[in-house]
Amino acid sequence: MKVAILSESEADEAAIRVLVEGALGRPVELVSKPSLRARGWPSVRQLVPKVIAHLQYRTDADGLVVVADANNSAPHLPGHEEPGGQEPKCRLCLLKGEVARTVGELRPVAGRSLLRTAVGLACPAIEAWYLCGREVGVTERAWEEAMQGKGTPFNRNWLKLKVYGTDRPGIVKCTRRGVEEARRLADVLDELERAFPKGFGSLRDDLRGW
Amino acid sequence: MIKSVEFKYFKVLRDATLPLSQFTLIVGPNGCGKTTALQGLLCLGGKLGISYASVVSAGARKDTPNASVSPRWGKPWDKFNVWFSWVPTLNPRLQFDTGGKPLHEEDLEAVLRELRSIEIYALDARAIALPVHLEAEVRLASDGKGLAGVLDRMRDNHPERFEALNHDLGHWLPEFDRVLFETPQPGHRGILLRTREGGYSIRAADLSQGTLLALTIMTLAWLPDPPSIVCFEEPDRGLHPRLLRDVRDALYRLAYPEGFEEKRPPVQVIATTHSPYMLDLFRDHPDEIVIANRDGDNVRFERLSDRKDLDEILRDSHLGDVWYSGILGGVPDAP
Repeated sequence: MKVAILSESEADEAAIRVLVEGALGRPVELVSKPSLRARGWPSVRQLVPKVIAHLQYRTDADGLVVVADANNSAPHLPGHEEPGGQEPKCRLCLLKGEVARTVGELRPVAGRSLLRTAVGLACPAIEAWYLCGREVGVTERAWEEAMQGKGTPFNRNWLKLKVYGTDRPGIVKCTRRGVEEARRLADVLDELERAFPKGFGSLRDDLRGW
Repeated sequence: MIKSVEFKYFKVLRDATLPLSQFTLIVGPNGCGKTTALQGLLCLGGKLGISYASVVSAGARKDTPNASVSPRWGKPWDKFNVWFSWVPTLNPRLQFDTGGKPLHEEDLEAVLRELRSIEIYALDARAIALPVHLEAEVRLASDGKGLAGVLDRMRDNHPERFEALNHDLGHWLPEFDRVLFETPQPGHRGILLRTREGGYSIRAADLSQGTLLALTIMTLAWLPDPPSIVCFEEPDRGLHPRLLRDVRDALYRLAYPEGFEEKRPPVQVIATTHSPYMLDLFRDHPDEIVIANRDGDNVRFERLSDRKDLDEILRDSHLGDVWYSGILGGVPDAP
C-alpha cells in the first residue's frame, strides 16, 4: 500500500509511519519523494486540499495520513461529531471537515480507487503520544482539564524535556526517539487510544476503514 | 556569558541595550543596528579598530559625547565591568572596574580571553571554496575562508567528529555522502564533495553557494574547540527553507552542547535573520528572540518574551508571519 504522510517534521513523519503500519498490521510504502511537509498548523490546514488533489491526480497513492499538533486549540468534544456540530476552533473538526469536503469534490480517475484518508491530532504535540505508558499524567483528558485550569499543565517544552532530555532537540534525535517510542506504542495501540481517544482514536478509526 | 550589551553613541546605537541569552536571534529592519551591535562586540575583543570619528553617532559629534560599548556579564563575572570607550582626544581603549572589589588578574585575563575569542561569521561562498595553504593552526575566517584547512585538521585530529560531520552532510544535503580533499598544489588543500549517486568528486568551486554555506555552518557546529562567543550574520542566507531546521540544530549544538551529547563548554551564539521561516523555528523559545526597532534616531532592542500579550497575538499564526505583519515591530518604516 502506498501512503503519503503530511505532518510537521520528518521526525513526526517517521514515527507516524510506524504507528500507521501498526494500526494497519502491514508495512506501507511512502509515496512521495520528496516527502510532503507542512510548516505548522496554518500550513497544514491550507495545504490539505492541494495535497489531496495532488495525490489523487498526479500519483498512485492509496491513502493520505494527516497528523497535526493541537497546541492550545479548543478540545474536540463529543458534540462535534453530531451533524452540524463541528466547532470552528477545534483543529480536528477543521481538518476532518476540510478532508471530507475535498475528497467529496475529487473526480474519479480511471484505473484507481478514490484516495483514502486518515486524520489525527496530537494533543498538544506528538511527544505526548510518545509518553503514553511512561507518564501516567500525560493524557488527552489531563491536557483538556489543564486547558480549563483544572490540572497541572504540561507544555510542549516540558514534553520535549521528558522525551528527548532537552527542550531543544536536534532533528536526528527527534527522529530516533520518535521511531523508538512509536515502535513501542505500535504493540500497545489500544493503550494509546485509551489515553488519546480523540486525537489518536480518530486516526485509528479512519485507518480501520482502509 | 554576556547577559546584555549597552551601547552609547555607537553609530546608530545611541542609547540601546541588547539583551542576550545563551542563544539569541535578532530580527529587525535593515539599518536598525543588528550588524552594528555585532561590530561593537568585535571592538571589545580588539579585532575591529574604529576611530572616534567613525564610531560616534551621526550628528552627536558636535556635543563631543563619549561613545562606548559595555557588556554585562553573568556569573562569575557579574560584578566585573569592562567597557570599550571612544573619546574625541584619546585613542580608543578598553577600561574596566571591579565595583570596589580587589582585581584578580586571572579574572581579568579570563574576561579578556572571552572577548578576544568573539568571532563574527558573514559567510561568502567564494571565500569558502578557496584552497588554503596548510598550517599547523588553521582557523575559519569570518567569511569562511580556511574551511578546507579546518576540515583537514578535523579529519586528522578528531576523526570521530569528521565522521559525524559526514553523517550530517548526508542528512542536510542527501545528494552528497562525504567530504574529500585534493592537493591543488604542494602544501595546499582544497575540498571536494562526493556525490551519493555515482561517487563523483565535485570541487568546491563547482558546488552551489548554498552547499558551501551549509557545509561551513555544519563544520562550525562540529568544531572541537569553537570560539566561546560566535555571531552569525544571516545564517539562513542562500539556504532552502527546509534546511533551516538543520541550521537551527547546528546553532543549538554550539549553544547547548549537553543536549547533543557534546562534552565541550557551551558557546554563546548570536545570530541575525530576515527570514520569517527561520523565526518560526524559535516559537517555543521567545526568550531567545530580540526584536530591533528603529524609533526615529534611536534603536530599541526588545526581547520577544517580554511581550505580555504574545500568546494572545500569536494564537494559530506563524511567528514569522506575525513579525512580517508589523504587529511585533522590527519592520521597516512606511515610506
